[in-house]
Amino acid sequence: MSAPTAAPFAPLTDRTRPGWRAWALLAPMVLWLIVFVVIPGIILLVYSLCERDEVGGVIFKFSFDNYQRVFDPVYLRIFGRSIGYAALTTVLCVVIGYPVAFYIGRAHEALRNRLLLLVMVPFWTSFLIRTYAWITILKQEGMLNSLVQTMNLGLEPFNLLYTPTAVIIGLVYAYLPFMILPIYGSAEKLDNSLIEAAYDLGAGPVRAFSSVIVPLTMPGIAAGTLLVFVPAIGMFAITDLMGGAKVPMIGNVIQNQFLQARDWPFGAALGVIFMLMFALTYVILQRRAPRPAA
Amino acid sequence: MKTLKSLLALGALLVAARFSAAAEVNLFGWSEYVPQEVLDGFTAETGIKVNFETYASNEELLSKLVAGAGAYDLIQPSDYAAEVMIRRGMLAPLDAAKLTNLKNIGSQYRALPHDPSGKFTVPYMTGTVGIVVNTEKVKDPIKGYKDVFQDKHKDRLVVLNDNREIVTWALYSLGLAINEITPASLAKARPVVAKWVKLVKVFDSDSPKTALLNGDVDIGVVWSGEAALLWNENKKFQYVLPAEGAHMFVDTLCIPATAKNKDAAHALINYILRPEVSKIISDKFPYTNPNLAARKLLTPAQLANPASYPTSSNARTFRDIGTAAADIDKLVTDLKSAQ
Repeated sequence: MSAPTAAPFAPLTDRTRPGWRAWALLAPMVLWLIVFVVIPGIILLVYSLCERDEVGGVIFKFSFDNYQRVFDPVYLRIFGRSIGYAALTTVLCVVIGYPVAFYIGRAHEALRNRLLLLVMVPFWTSFLIRTYAWITILKQEGMLNSLVQTMNLGLEPFNLLYTPTAVIIGLVYAYLPFMILPIYGSAEKLDNSLIEAAYDLGAGPVRAFSSVIVPLTMPGIAAGTLLVFVPAIGMFAITDLMGGAKVPMIGNVIQNQFLQARDWPFGAALGVIFMLMFALTYVILQRRAPRPAA
Repeated sequence: MKTLKSLLALGALLVAARFSAAAEVNLFGWSEYVPQEVLDGFTAETGIKVNFETYASNEELLSKLVAGAGAYDLIQPSDYAAEVMIRRGMLAPLDAAKLTNLKNIGSQYRALPHDPSGKFTVPYMTGTVGIVVNTEKVKDPIKGYKDVFQDKHKDRLVVLNDNREIVTWALYSLGLAINEITPASLAKARPVVAKWVKLVKVFDSDSPKTALLNGDVDIGVVWSGEAALLWNENKKFQYVLPAEGAHMFVDTLCIPATAKNKDAAHALINYILRPEVSKIISDKFPYTNPNLAARKLLTPAQLANPASYPTSSNARTFRDIGTAAADIDKLVTDLKSAQ
């Protein structure tokens, strides 16, 4: 940022030159980032270039072997599948979450706060307990099947638990709030007069939605996509509990390297590739998303 | 003068209390394996505080100790993990004079291949990996792995989510050695495992009994302790040791070479070896108790549980296989992913 030269009498604000106060305010965050993000990231990078020993310790003998193994078709296929599951989860979250978020954002203030509270309520319970609740619903002799039996529709009992469908249900359920909240943020700020203007200028409901509302709420959709897509790729608990650990995801493979195969360096290499993928997703979304007007 | 004396006495008492309170032992053990009552009873009797941390796999224990984490005084590795630690000099030899209750352990559980001299480990609990069958749903006799992994049982199976276990069963069914993993033996096991993983509905090591209880599956290859709990729940769940051979595990108590409170650790081992204490462990976690004096305190029903106390004994323990663990992991990951 270039310093303003034409206005010698303008007060120097924090915006132009962060003073010691700004740094003091930032210090806890910066420290947190260094200790819990930067340093572990460096350790991960160093480990990924090492070798394992027989017991599972790390030998500091540098090579790129682990990265070569990452590009073995076995693991590439798993990366691809994880991305596919995460993408489907993200799309479903947008489709289900957008109308909800939009409605909440346009509701009266009192109602809006109550609805927002409802979106947050699941977080009061542990994530694992909520996943076990889904198992109770979906299992063969579970709530869903007994409901179907009681309704007497002549349907066969559903065989949902431990299938890919169950994994997608679990993923969408877990990440939906992370899509609703950012879209709500954008929808709430949406200026009604802009929508009216669209109608005045002859746009139908579809056109008004696609040319005005969607672009204006795009920052929310982009933020939600990032919050859903990225963690959904690495999720391993849901695939284990609801998918029966049948189809390995990249999160499971990484977990196995540390807890079963005693191969920390390879696990670290998978982790590094994973982080690069996150960074790439972020860059793409930043490029695509139109900058919101100030 | 009198006040001064009593003050001094009080001071001495406080100091003494301080010191005895400072006595502690750091236990690093399996989750869901050490009843809290046992640790509380030990503290109540000796005043030694037990700091208890848990792990969920031998590999987790090994990697944490290799990485030099934590100052643990007492750990609970299974046979093959203890073997690696002995070989690497990571365990302290036990002082037999301090373990007066060691005589309670049955001789068949001492001096096993992982610790031939018996100097480093004391058996805690033992068990097997076997087949549990819901006899209400499955009418054919199930005797071994080949009976379990049949096409007609597709999507009716739960097995441990443990890659070495699955490969071991395949090796057993082929009549191959389970502890000498070579590229050739893995190549032979590969088509068998490939066929088997397609038939399985759930892979679960933590609580495989859940899928059986829920009725989602009818047959499982699981830890004997899980099968024992199922049998307690309902006698329709029958436990069978596979005819081709089974994996037996011996979970041990041992003291790391770096332990600071070795005396307290010995005291805790000796306390756990008492029959009445060991019985509490059996009540809560119905694995096979190697403590024969404790077995005498169990009820006939507990002893009649076929999963806790199976009659045949064609089971063998795992030995350490070193870097072959990574080959096994890749093989099973590949085959699971291919379906």
